[in-house]
Amino acid sequence: MKRTLNFNIFRYNPQDPASHPHMEAYTLQETAGMTLFIALNQIRELQAPSLAFDFVCRAGVCGSCSMLINGRPRLACRTLTESLPDTITLLPLPTFELIADLSVNSGKWMRAMSERLETWVHSVEETDLDRIELPMDPDLAEHIYELDRCIECGCCVTACGTAQMREDFIGAVGINKIARFKADPRDQRNDQDYYAVVGDDDGVFGCMSLLGCQDVCPKELSLQTQIAYIRRKMAFAGL
Amino acid sequence: MKMMITKHPSAWPARFDLMQSATGLFLALFMWLHMFFVSSILLGKDAMWTVARFFEGYFFFGTNFPLLVSGFVALIFSLIIIHSALALRKFPANWKQYSRFWQHMRSMRHADTTLWLVQVVTGFIMFFLASVHLYVMLSRPELIGPYASADRVWSLRMWPLYLLLLFAVELHGAVGLYRLAIKWGWFDRGDPQSTRRRLKTAKWIMSIFFLVLGLATLAAYIKIGIDHSANVGELYTPSWMEVQQ
Amino acid sequence: MKLIYTDVLVIGGGLAGMRTAIGVKRRGLDTLVLSLVPAKRSHSVAAQGGMQASLANCVKAAGDNEDIHFQDTVRGSDWGCDQQVARMFTHMAPKAVRELAAWGVPWNRVRKGEHEVVINGQRVTLTAPAKAHGLITARDFGGTKKWRTCYTSDGTGHAMLYTLGDQAVAASIPVEERKEAMALIHDQGRCYGAVVRDLISGELSAYLAKATVMATGGYGRIYGVSTNAIINEGIGQALALETGVARLANMEAVQFHPTAIVPAGILVTEGCRGDGGLLRDKDGHRFMPDYEPDKKELASRDVVSRRMAEHMRKGKGVASPYGDHLWLDITVLGEAHINKNLREVKDICQYFLGIDPSKEWIPVRPTQHYSMGGIRTDYRGESPWLSGLFACGEVACWDMHGFNRLGGNSVAETVVSGMLVSEYIADFCQKPENDLTVSTHLAAEFLQRETDKLKRLFTSSGDENAVAIRKRMEQILMEKVGLFRNGEHLREAVEELQQLLIRSRQISVASQAQGANPELVLAYRLPRMLKIAIGIALGALQRTESRGAHYREDHPERNDRDWLNRTLCHWNSEDDTLPVLDYEPLDVNTMELPPGFRGYGTKNIIEHPATEARQTQVDRITEAAPSDLNEQLMPFRHLLPEKYRGDNERLEDSNP
Repeated sequence: MKRTLNFNIFRYNPQDPASHPHMEAYTLQETAGMTLFIALNQIRELQAPSLAFDFVCRAGVCGSCSMLINGRPRLACRTLTESLPDTITLLPLPTFELIADLSVNSGKWMRAMSERLETWVHSVEETDLDRIELPMDPDLAEHIYELDRCIECGCCVTACGTAQMREDFIGAVGINKIARFKADPRDQRNDQDYYAVVGDDDGVFGCMSLLGCQDVCPKELSLQTQIAYIRRKMAFAGL
Repeated sequence: MKMMITKHPSAWPARFDLMQSATGLFLALFMWLHMFFVSSILLGKDAMWTVARFFEGYFFFGTNFPLLVSGFVALIFSLIIIHSALALRKFPANWKQYSRFWQHMRSMRHADTTLWLVQVVTGFIMFFLASVHLYVMLSRPELIGPYASADRVWSLRMWPLYLLLLFAVELHGAVGLYRLAIKWGWFDRGDPQSTRRRLKTAKWIMSIFFLVLGLATLAAYIKIGIDHSANVGELYTPSWMEVQQ
Repeated sequence: MKLIYTDVLVIGGGLAGMRTAIGVKRRGLDTLVLSLVPAKRSHSVAAQGGMQASLANCVKAAGDNEDIHFQDTVRGSDWGCDQQVARMFTHMAPKAVRELAAWGVPWNRVRKGEHEVVINGQRVTLTAPAKAHGLITARDFGGTKKWRTCYTSDGTGHAMLYTLGDQAVAASIPVEERKEAMALIHDQGRCYGAVVRDLISGELSAYLAKATVMATGGYGRIYGVSTNAIINEGIGQALALETGVARLANMEAVQFHPTAIVPAGILVTEGCRGDGGLLRDKDGHRFMPDYEPDKKELASRDVVSRRMAEHMRKGKGVASPYGDHLWLDITVLGEAHINKNLREVKDICQYFLGIDPSKEWIPVRPTQHYSMGGIRTDYRGESPWLSGLFACGEVACWDMHGFNRLGGNSVAETVVSGMLVSEYIADFCQKPENDLTVSTHLAAEFLQRETDKLKRLFTSSGDENAVAIRKRMEQILMEKVGLFRNGEHLREAVEELQQLLIRSRQISVASQAQGANPELVLAYRLPRMLKIAIGIALGALQRTESRGAHYREDHPERNDRDWLNRTLCHWNSEDDTLPVLDYEPLDVNTMELPPGFRGYGTKNIIEHPATEARQTQVDRITEAAPSDLNEQLMPFRHLLPEKYRGDNERLEDSNP
């Protein structure tokens, strides 16, 4: 089945004084196995050489290419056009600073989140690298990895009603990070320390449980469970 | 691998969050009970009279203490005020926030997101409508009874308020309870997503059940109100008392 | 003119760059990292299968140590590597894994008691001792004698990069994202930093530093189909080449990974085969044992890739609209194993192929994967020709991989080289003679040069199309500088690539946007990519032997007599269309492991005249078994920073 795809793509380059925000239409012949990565590159190569978008791994692991695809945030690289209707509307993620067209500065946001939540293993001991490593329960290691799989693509933040309204909300990505480090015995922080970074309305108590995050996460992380878990712990820590 | 500098955060955000949830939980469960009490009219005027007097302590003290009801209403009223005040923290605060949420909701087409707006709207409605009802209950608690309530619904033209309030309460309460379960991870064993699906189904069933019950109850009061419209102000005397006289 | 000063300028925010930045910061130096993309999106994040380190914790790793890891690495390199560097590396790898473990990487751990694994297509039960419970486990990988590849499911690179990225935040190391180095600032054999373009605003500025570190990864994307992230275009190597001073090495050593999916070219990890997956042909026949009876699917990558291509040439490939492919069968591993340890593979199969790998076979074929070659450095990571220019990770030819890299050795190299090179850089920076004495005039000159170049692109009246030239370059490399090479095709490739380079000087840019402008970016990067492409093709043309990943059908033998050396490549003048090649010999007389048969692949070797004598010498020393055997065979410990010289403890040491 050969279809002609109609793309409506947001175009705007804030650095270019001649540019103004608008939607531009492109048409493309669909080919078998076409992903939005392939489609956007074809549009750039043949129709719009200045079209800006971000792809890095193009394999669904780096989190660069999230955009609003027909209204919902998804990773463009692994979205097959056959899963979409004939008309495809692409917008940049609204939560992040726009660079140009479909490219947004999610990296800057994530770095700020990391600094704010101190998303690293806090430990004061120096490790003797010559010695055998400290053992860790295999199940615990797997559990930590499960929480560590977040690719910081920003889909959860974009899908979050709270984050849409309140710019300082840390989103599911941030709360999941806290769950990850809290699960990690190598991080010597206690609940009071975690409370200090997520125990307010910009943190876990800002979450209104709309679950947009859970439903769009491309890595299918257990965000709903983690947020509830951190909420319970932080509520207790706050009392 | 530096250690964090210890900050001294406020405990209030945690307390507020717990209070919002706790007041919400209490109010939602109370509203379900309340609906059962009110709907006792469907079992007959005597049943409703009995329930009403029960809460005035008639069966404990042998006489009515409407102040008991006033006190309880005052408690509910204050819980509602607290719950609303806490919920206001979550409301969109300005046009920009409203419009961003609206655009987001339309773009996402995501049920749980849309339901939140339902919460906001129904909550907002309840600020006003519930206050009117509660004030009457607070000031004239003795006027809860098969005739007095029916007169209020029909002859004092309160039925449009109750109709709106019914929808607001039953949607808001059920959605609120669903969200509470999600928020705190209740019933979350095993597969959270199937739990969520089940909770969602339960939420709809509860909303519909209580709406149907509420509409039937309201209809019953309207009917009594129409029949009793010539004698507005007369209080109901239970059938067995009439027999005794 | 915008000038930014720092002690150590790190270009590239992947594993190698991050570990280097953390290292120099810990030594008290000021540093900043430039990255084309948000650093956590670097290609390191895509490394799936794991990192080799001879911890010897799991059952099938018993008895493993640095010696065996070293020998595997040298054999894997087809004796093309620098053995001292390989020694330093294998000594450091366990320390690197343990450091990352302390910093937060959730390495998979040994579970005591019985567990089932798949070996050679059979289910086997292994029993792990209680004393190993909770220590870092490992999986099997190609070309190794022991199970040595430490992993976190199949997201090892992700877990490592996130941990290092987080540690960089903890250390307050600034990471300037969406910044591209445009030229190295240098004068009289000393590198002083780089001219940098802001990819958002388009602004050019000069970053001046005592030491400049290239950590920009490989050049896979000059091939039409590659497993690499699309940012891996060889720009780091090209910038070094464009200095005219620094040299690249072994550019012709390009690795093809056996299992990338068809047609997308996305990698599925070697862990698939390591964990027991099989390769099958169109008849469903498991063909690798026919070619490699000993290592089967787990010979080194160059060998497996070549055997696969050979088998497809015999008509045993599965025909598809995208060309022939073979099957990777991991159904034997079972759904539970795949869901836990190969979940990225599962995702990739689901999203890009629409199949469930626990039930269906995966269509794969060898695909460009890794560049063993790169900026030639000494063991300290510094360019011997351009002082102050350091390089580590895939961009460098340090040179521990020689002509073929073992799976799991690249992620290991990134952190190990980062650990080591950062120490050497700190030593370098702390010497008074290496203080920054650059004149702002020099910086201005370089800045102006780049400004003019960009201006020319905007105003050029040339009529060449960058996309068309790029596509042709990719096609030439795929067809003529691929897995099988021959003189005729290589000559044609060199010839035509030069034509493309000349044409690329006539590219014009239509979009006048100063900031984000993909058209402009391609226009200035393309000539750089072409220079790298020419370097590869010319190196491959001149190297008339077959070694590791470099395979010449017209010269199928490994010729130690004439080619036991490293290709060096430099570019004299901007107007040239060819680099100058010369050769750096590898000294058999200092090798701990003299050249021999790898144990897999075809045995077809022209011996080096000195090999036999050296082998006798090595055997004699080994037989005597002195306590300082390493020192007598090939000393390396003195090259390491003092704090890293200690022996690595293992379970067998602690519980004799």
